[in-house]
Amino acid sequence: MPTLSSNEIYSRQILFRGIGEEGQQKLQNSRVAIVGCGATGSVIASLLARAGVGFLRIIDRDYVEPSNLQRQILFDEDDAAKFIPKAVAAAKRLSACNSNVKVESQVADLTPHNVESLLADCTLIMDGTDNFETRYLINDFAIAKNIPWIYTAAIGSIGVTMNILPGETACMACMFPDSPNGAMETCETFGILNAAVAGIGASASSEALKFLTGAKALMRRTLLTEDVWWTDRAELPAEAQRADCRCCVRREFTHLSGENRPHIALCGSNSVQIHEKTRTIDLAELEQRLLPHGTVRCNGFALRFWRGPYQLTIFPDGRAIIKGTTDVGVARSLYARFLGA
Amino acid sequence: MQIQVRLYATFRIGRFNEQTRDYPPGTRISKVLEDLEIDESLIGTAFIDFKYATLDRELHEGARLGIFPKVGGG
Repeated sequence: MPTLSSNEIYSRQILFRGIGEEGQQKLQNSRVAIVGCGATGSVIASLLARAGVGFLRIIDRDYVEPSNLQRQILFDEDDAAKFIPKAVAAAKRLSACNSNVKVESQVADLTPHNVESLLADCTLIMDGTDNFETRYLINDFAIAKNIPWIYTAAIGSIGVTMNILPGETACMACMFPDSPNGAMETCETFGILNAAVAGIGASASSEALKFLTGAKALMRRTLLTEDVWWTDRAELPAEAQRADCRCCVRREFTHLSGENRPHIALCGSNSVQIHEKTRTIDLAELEQRLLPHGTVRCNGFALRFWRGPYQLTIFPDGRAIIKGTTDVGVARSLYARFLGA
Repeated sequence: MQIQVRLYATFRIGRFNEQTRDYPPGTRISKVLEDLEIDESLIGTAFIDFKYATLDRELHEGARLGIFPKVGGG
């Protein structure tokens, strides 16, 4: 396939006075990590790649499923049929959109153990995750290392975003000091409009472009919420740090140290994730071992195993998602039965 | 006393965007949440007059109370 010149691709963007030739060069020299490449992450990754951000690292732990396709714009039916890792499918699609951009895929769960290696060499971190545990980890790391990040979330018809500029704005722990306690609404339980995702992802991406092109002074210092169904928009001030903020004032990085990280977490509406941090798994060997016990599919990135009403997706780093239960005990039992305790 | 309550994001669904409400002096934010049937565990942050406030804070005449949920999907 011919590679198009950057002059052709970016000509209209360079005409925009906020970017220009100089801004375009700054984008080309930029490195951005996108943590989570589901709905919001897909939009952000697509816009930043098309805009010419020189290096994108896509970090995602999940696989493409049919229910993703309504809103996760980087994926297609073939990706879902083959349960391709989202990070891999995204990198392929982004590279096809703009071969001038280097896209690195990381099929990984962001943890206190790998956060340094995955985020430290980027100048901006974009949030495409669907959970607060990862966001608090990003926040701790970003504040500790003085790296800006942009929080983005969506549910129903509502999108929310906030720029976190260390030392200049509130951080996530200022705005949301307490970790979620009990069940929260998720896209699986509450539903999600693709336009809500696209809208808020675009807002976050434009803030990223401002930062990367040196227009930091123009960045929003508010928590923005938009509702695309009820045509509603509101902003809350987010300049001031909370006086006793655990993270940016007291600098207690409890999520970064790992003391707040559970090994086991409810995942979606009917799944449990078990993460054995020290375990590595030979998927080919496991495939042979499980074949007598149920249906097994393995693609080198993950192994999926069906046993009665349960579906286990097992990753080389020892993580497993057990679908079909919210009972941690049942999940632990399945894990122990088929992977060993 | 009268306070002005402003809800954000998912808290608006089935409730209101902004409403003036009457409460006796000494009322705390948690009482307003209880009346609005908002579970405290869903609160992201609360503001009084656009400044962070804990849920046990007392409201004052004319206070502008903002309540924002944790929005986590993505």
